[in-house]
Amino acid sequence: MAQARTPSPANRQAAARTTQAVIGAGTRVRGRVTGDGDLTVLGQLEGEVSVRGELFIEKGGRVTSDIDAGALRVAGTLDGDVHVTGDVTLLAGSNVSGDLHGARVSLEEGAVLDGRLDSEFDLPSELGETSRAAAHKATARR
Amino acid sequence: MASTVIGAGITIEGEISADDEIVVQGTIRGKLEAREGVTVETGGVVEADIVSGPLSVSGHVTGNITSSDRVDLLAGAKVVGNVKATRITIADGAQFKGNVDMDV
Repeated sequence: MAQARTPSPANRQAAARTTQAVIGAGTRVRGRVTGDGDLTVLGQLEGEVSVRGELFIEKGGRVTSDIDAGALRVAGTLDGDVHVTGDVTLLAGSNVSGDLHGARVSLEEGAVLDGRLDSEFDLPSELGETSRAAAHKATARR
Repeated sequence: MASTVIGAGITIEGEISADDEIVVQGTIRGKLEAREGVTVETGGVVEADIVSGPLSVSGHVTGNITSSDRVDLLAGAKVVGNVKATRITIADGAQFKGNVDMDV
């Protein structure tokens, strides 16, 4: 018979150090996720997300869900509408389909956005006048 | 492999299936399936049937447990449900209500 296993001590220590939630690369969650803390997604999440802290979708992470969060950083894939009270950052390599509502939105070079961007912002000077509440269907490029 | 941690402030209502280890400090309602180990820490609440590898509980579990490996109910654990496992330990200070089914 195979040797009985227990969860590794290193894993327990890692858990003790953090108060945030991590959905690992090999994990799929279907349903509703709510909470006060931060949430990091390396795996797959389908459903509904409402967190007061930051939602970080890591490279390789895939979220199919509407999102309500304090802040959002995306390096992976997101399909859903986003309501964020703080910063929204779409990092290089991210792929987002859905409408973004955020106080401050930034798109890194290489980020792909398919949807509306509903945020107050100033266009760079080379693009002319200041624009407010612009709605774009955009692929971030320089 | 990266592991999954459901932090203290987090509640998941739904279905979780994982190839990773899972550590629960928050709340899970629904269904929990993991190929690797599951640890329900003190303060962690699982109201779900659990199918897993080795399972270690110091928090609360309400639901049936099926483990392909061992189940350890540690001091402070409160488990209501049936347990099916190859080995089981129930520590002094653990509360358990349910049946035990061990392969013999």
